[in-house]
Amino acid sequence: MKQIVAALAALLLFCAAPGIALAQSGPLRIEITEGVVEPMPYAVPDFVAETAEAQQLGQQISRVIADDLSGTGLFREVPREAHISQVTSFGSPIQFADWKAINAQALITGAVSVSGGQVTVKFRVWDVFAGTELGQGMQFAGTTEGWRRMAHKVADQVYSRITGESGYFDSRVVFVSESGPKDNRVKRLAVMDYDGANVQFLTGSNSLVLAPRFSDDGQRVLYTSYETGMPRVHVLEVGTVQSRILQGQDGVMSFAPRFAPDGQTVVYSLTQGSNTDIWAMDIASGTTRQLTSAPSIETAPSYSPDGSQIVFESDRSGTQQLYVMPASGGEARRISFGEGRYSAPVWSPRGDMIAFTKQNAGRFFIGVMRTDGSEERLLTASFLDEGPTWAPNGRVIMFARETQGAQGASSLYTVDISGRKLTRVRTPEGASDPSWGPLQ
Amino acid sequence: MHTGHYISGGAHGALILWLLLGGVFDSAPPEMQVADVSILSEAEFAALTQPRAAPVLGAEPEVLPEPEPEEAAPEAPAEESQPQTPPEPEEPAASEPDATPEPIAPVAEPEVAETPPQPPAPEPVPQVEAPEIAARPTPRPAPRVAPQAVPEPEPEAEIAPEVQETVERSETPDSTADEEQEATAPEAAATEIVTEAEEPARAPAASVRPRTRPIRPAPSEVAEQEASPASEPAPAPERPPVQSSDTASAIAGALEEALGGAANGAPEGPPLTDGETNGFRIAVQECWQVDVGSQAANVTVTVGFDLDRSGRVTGALKMLASEGGSGAAAEAAFQSARRAILRCQGNGYDLPKDKYDHWKSVEMTFNPENMRIR
Repeated sequence: MKQIVAALAALLLFCAAPGIALAQSGPLRIEITEGVVEPMPYAVPDFVAETAEAQQLGQQISRVIADDLSGTGLFREVPREAHISQVTSFGSPIQFADWKAINAQALITGAVSVSGGQVTVKFRVWDVFAGTELGQGMQFAGTTEGWRRMAHKVADQVYSRITGESGYFDSRVVFVSESGPKDNRVKRLAVMDYDGANVQFLTGSNSLVLAPRFSDDGQRVLYTSYETGMPRVHVLEVGTVQSRILQGQDGVMSFAPRFAPDGQTVVYSLTQGSNTDIWAMDIASGTTRQLTSAPSIETAPSYSPDGSQIVFESDRSGTQQLYVMPASGGEARRISFGEGRYSAPVWSPRGDMIAFTKQNAGRFFIGVMRTDGSEERLLTASFLDEGPTWAPNGRVIMFARETQGAQGASSLYTVDISGRKLTRVRTPEGASDPSWGPLQ
Repeated sequence: MHTGHYISGGAHGALILWLLLGGVFDSAPPEMQVADVSILSEAEFAALTQPRAAPVLGAEPEVLPEPEPEEAAPEAPAEESQPQTPPEPEEPAASEPDATPEPIAPVAEPEVAETPPQPPAPEPVPQVEAPEIAARPTPRPAPRVAPQAVPEPEPEAEIAPEVQETVERSETPDSTADEEQEATAPEAAATEIVTEAEEPARAPAASVRPRTRPIRPAPSEVAEQEASPASEPAPAPERPPVQSSDTASAIAGALEEALGGAANGAPEGPPLTDGETNGFRIAVQECWQVDVGSQAANVTVTVGFDLDRSGRVTGALKMLASEGGSGAAAEAAFQSARRAILRCQGNGYDLPKDKYDHWKSVEMTFNPENMRIR
C-alpha cells in the first residue's frame, strides 16, 4: 500500500514539475497597494515675453497658473528661487537634469506675445523624469483684458494632462454679494471667476435676492427675488442681464429653483397654505407638474446628472432628511440616517456623490455621501457652513461660511472632496449662496 | 438492458469480498519492544526516592583535609576489561551528609599494548575542473577493514591473497613461454570504517560557480555574417558523445526530460528573497502619489518594464492591463505609476546583481483599493 502511495506521489510531483518551473520563470511580479498622498511638485517659470509689451503679462499668467494648480491641493509649486535652469526661449531644449535636481515632476513652459491688443499665449507641459512632453504644445489668443481667462485655460490643460480629468479653472460662480451690517444687509446677485476675480453684479440693491443657480450651459441664472414682496423665481440671461419672473401665481411662494440638466425644465418648491411641495415646470410652455404631495415640507430639489432622479430634503420623518425620487415624481427613498438635520443636497456632476449641509449639536457641516446614503463624510465644520455647490469636474465643493456675532460676515470657501484642502475665495464683499457654473 | 447493472453489482460485490476477505485491512502487529527490568523492594524504592537534606553551612568554611589518592584510588582496569554488573544499591547513609566527602581519584589511563597500523598515504586527488577539495585526507571507503589498506582491485581480477598480473598468450612466436594465468588481487580493504558522516570530507569546500551564458550575437552581427558571402560558414562543432556513465549529463538529461525544456528558459541562480522584493516594492511605493479623490483611484493598473544591470529602467514602460474606471482614468493611473517607477529609480534600484535574471523584467501592479476615500 505504501508503495502505491509513494508511486502516486512521485507521479504527481513529476506532473507538477513543469508548472513549478514555469511559475518561477518570467518577469518579477510585484503588487503595490500603498502609496503616498501628497501634492506633486511642479515648476512654472515666467512665460517668455516674445514682445516688449508682454513682459508683465508673462509673469502674471504664470502666477495665475501656479495659483490655480496649487489651489487644488494636488500640486505644489517649486519656488522660482530654486530653479537652476532659466527658460529664455520657448523653443530652447529643456535641461531635464536641472529640473530633476529640484524634484520638479512636471514643468510648464510658455511664451506670451502682444500685438495690436491681441494676446497670444502658448505653452508646453513636460514630464521631467520621463524626459518627454505631455501632450502637445498649444496656444490661445484673446484680448489683453482676457489674459486671466487664458491663464485659466492653460491651467485646465495642464491639470487635464496630468490627472486625466477635466479642470475647473476657466469657470464662473454666481453668488449673492452681501454688504452692510447684519441687521440691514444689502444682497445683490453677482458673478465672478471661480477664484473671486472679475466680479460683476447682475442685480441692483433694491430687492432681496436668494439662492441663484446656474443653468448647465452657464447662459442663464435662476434665483429667488423678493422684488414683489413675495418670493418669486426669476430667470436671468447672463449675456444680456435681462431677467423675468418664471412663475407668477399670486399668493403663492416659490423658491429653491434649479435647472434640469437639459435646461428645459425647472424644479422648485411651492408653498400653498402650510404645505410645501416640489414642482416641475417646462420653461417653454409654462406647464407645471406636482412631484411630491406629502403633508410636510419638501424642498431643495437637485437633479442627478442624467436627469433621471431628484434628491431633496423633507421633514416627513420628523426631522430634515434627504430623499431620492424619480424625476417624474413618485415614491421616494430616504438616504440619510445619521444624527442631526440634513439639508440643501446637491448631486455631483460626476453622479457618484451628493453634497449636503448638516446641522448637529449646534454646529454646521458640509459633507458628502454616496447616492445611496453610504460612506457619509463630513468635510468641514464651523459655526455656520451652508449651501454647497460642485465644481464642474466634481472634485471641489464651494460653500458659504458665516462667522459668529453681530459683526459676523459670510464668505466663500472651497474644499476638495478629500477634505484636505480648504481655501477661502477672495471676494470684494461678503458672499453667500454660491452656484458653480460649467467649464467655459 | 440491465447488463450494466449486473456487471456493476458483480464488480462491487467482488470488491467488497476482496476487501473483507483479502486481508486488506489487516495490519501487521507492531514489533514488540523487550526491555530488561529489575525488581526493587519497597525499602529500596523508598531509599532511592528519599530527598536528601541540604547541607548546613557553618559560619567559617571548614578546611577540607587533603585527599589521599593512594588509599582511595581504585585499581587500574585490567587490559581486557570484563563487563561489570551494576552494583547493588547500597543503603542510604544517615540523614546528615558527610562533612568531608571523599574525592574521587581520576581513572588511570589504561595501557594499550597494540598500536594501530599506520594508514596508507592518501592518494593524490586528480585535478578535476572546478571543485575545490578539502585538504583533509580521508581513507578510501571499503566494505572491509584490515590492518593493511588495499586498493580496489581491477574489475577483471579475482579475489586472492596474492597479487599477480594477467599473463596472456602472446601471438609473437619468440615470446617467452609464461604460463597463462588470470589476474588476482586481494579484496579491497581499508584500515578503518568510513561512515557516511565522514563522506563530506570529499565534498567541495565551495560550490561550483555556474557557467555564464553564451553571449548571443547581436542581430546586426548575425545579419552581417549572413550577408557576407566570402565568409565560409564554420563547420558545426561536433556534439561530444554523451557517455552513459557521466552522471552529470545523465542528471541534466533527466532534468531536461522531466521539465520539458522549461529549465532552459528559467532564470539562473536563486530567486529574490522576500526582503529584496519588499525593498524594491517600498522604493517604488514611496514615489507613488495617489490622487485619492480621482477616478484613477478606482483603477488597478499593471505596468511592465525592463531594467538594466544597474537597476535603471531601460526601454519604454507599458501598460499591460487595467481594471476598473474609464479609459481616461486608466491612462491617468498608468501615468501615475510610470512617474513613480521613473522618479524613484535614481541611479538604479538596489537589487542583487547576481540575480539579474530574476529582475531584468518586471510586472508591477498598482492597486489603490486600500487608499480610496472611504
